[in-house]
Amino acid sequence: MFSLFYGLWKYLVSKTEFHILILGIDKAGKTTLLEKLKAQYSSLEGLPPDRIVPTVGLNIGRIETSNTKLVFWDLGGQAGLRSIWEKYYEEAHAVIFVVDSSSPSRFEDSKSALEKVLRHEDLQGAPLIILANKQDLADAVSTEELARYLDLKKLDERVYTFEGVSGYDGTGLKETVNWLVDVMERSKRTEMLRVRAGVTNSSGA
Amino acid sequence: MGIVFTRLFSSLFGNKEARILVLGLDNAGKTTILYRLQMGEVVSTIPTIGFNVETVQYNNIKFQVWDLGGQTSIRPYWRCYFPNTQAMIYVVDSSDTERLVTAKEEFHAILEEEELKGAVILIFANKQDLPGALDAAAVTESLELHKIKNRQWSIFKTSAIKGEGLFEGLDWLSNTLKSGGG
Repeated sequence: MFSLFYGLWKYLVSKTEFHILILGIDKAGKTTLLEKLKAQYSSLEGLPPDRIVPTVGLNIGRIETSNTKLVFWDLGGQAGLRSIWEKYYEEAHAVIFVVDSSSPSRFEDSKSALEKVLRHEDLQGAPLIILANKQDLADAVSTEELARYLDLKKLDERVYTFEGVSGYDGTGLKETVNWLVDVMERSKRTEMLRVRAGVTNSSGA
Repeated sequence: MGIVFTRLFSSLFGNKEARILVLGLDNAGKTTILYRLQMGEVVSTIPTIGFNVETVQYNNIKFQVWDLGGQTSIRPYWRCYFPNTQAMIYVVDSSDTERLVTAKEEFHAILEEEELKGAVILIFANKQDLPGALDAAAVTESLELHKIKNRQWSIFKTSAIKGEGLFEGLDWLSNTLKSGGG
């Protein structure tokens, strides 16, 4: 009996932990963005952009904001590594998809990678924020222009938005986090993941 | 390689005692890697409990190597070497496809160790110089690296014999530890 109440109490007072996937093709700037997030929201310095190498694996960033814990999973974006993305879908509350706005020659690649992500059933109902990254660069296209190019017509059901950001100077990152926290707290997917975690009572894989 | 190593790791942990474990099945190339790094003298000890541990002390960082797999009776003694471990380098023979399943099982067993929960994981897909060696994506798949969700990991193709890929991996490791680890 005690353990039952203890469990309930723990459930009530514990901060919700959200898992957010950072996806996008290689050179989109995912890790730079993550490091900037870490610097903005925690006492950690974060790596300077010139020390960041292409990711072949998983980078993790943990931040806390307004009584919420966010865990970011940043996965490598090279073509050969994208097959691993889907292994992380099931447990993700939301998705950040990063696009290099200064590299139109790779929009097509981004678009097809994104479409593939969105088709996957393990990500059903996951809120999506598409980041038009590298807005600090002079030749970056605007968020509207990128949105027009990606032409996401089949997204009616999904909660999503676009945001122009710079992982380099941090522009737009606070807005991104605020939007994510707000929609994740209200999303059906969060409820679904919570129920599933409760049922299996799994203790951290 | 020795100088490169100094640059990467000299100021990493301040004066704190730190440990980096280099683990894998026998014949994965762990000792060769240790020698390649030219950090100092490799001291081999066989404790009375009977498993061979090789140690290189570099300033305040201890690199320690032993073989996984084999006798289960000595495993509890491994735990003597777990405290203060900041990172684990897991080395696999990418050409030994028959034993990749064993390599996977041993890997996931050691990840469960409570005292290693905070350690950053670097994987060396070694022996890339041999014909039939699997690439990083295939080794990732075989080792089921995607099951790691609560700490940072990265995989690099290496050839310890030729000295390839080691630096890139250690560069990632030192950056990751600097930026706050797992």
